[in-house]
Amino acid sequence: MSFLGFGGAPAQPSEAKIAAAEAELDLVTDMFNRLVDNCHQKCISKSYNEGDVNKNESLCIDRCVSKYFEVNVKVGENMQKLGSSGAFGGR
Amino acid sequence: MDQLNQREQQDFQRIVEGKQMKDFMRLYSNLVERCFNDCVNDFTSASLTSKENTCVLKCSEKFLKHSERVGQRFQEQNALLTQQMRR
Repeated sequence: MSFLGFGGAPAQPSEAKIAAAEAELDLVTDMFNRLVDNCHQKCISKSYNEGDVNKNESLCIDRCVSKYFEVNVKVGENMQKLGSSGAFGGR
Repeated sequence: MDQLNQREQQDFQRIVEGKQMKDFMRLYSNLVERCFNDCVNDFTSASLTSKENTCVLKCSEKFLKHSERVGQRFQEQNALLTQQMRR
């Protein structure tokens, strides 16, 4: 909220604020769904000998999520670096 | 994120509920596809064999447990990331 010009962004209309919140929710949901799919593919054995996630799979899931986040940050940083170097159309 | 006032929160809540419903349907159909593909490969009978049946049950149970665990780790990592960005 801006008050006397402090606090950065000017007051937005309701629709814009709600749209921003919705976009953020969509982004997080999309990332979560991708994470579930990808780590299932990499960690869960398709033989389905048991309904529980076993010890090895659990460990794999924990590491998979952690690495996914790490890659997320790394790619973001790298894109920023490459972008500011002007190597890709100055964007 | 910008603070939403009470009215905006109500509007947003309605949007979230709509999305939750959609997300649930998506989860459901994806799970059907996943477990069908992983468990059912024999078409010499029209109904599921007992082996396919147990496979489907374990497949769906396991997926939900997997998704739950990913959710826990996701929250932790997300909190960590937000914390780092604030610093």
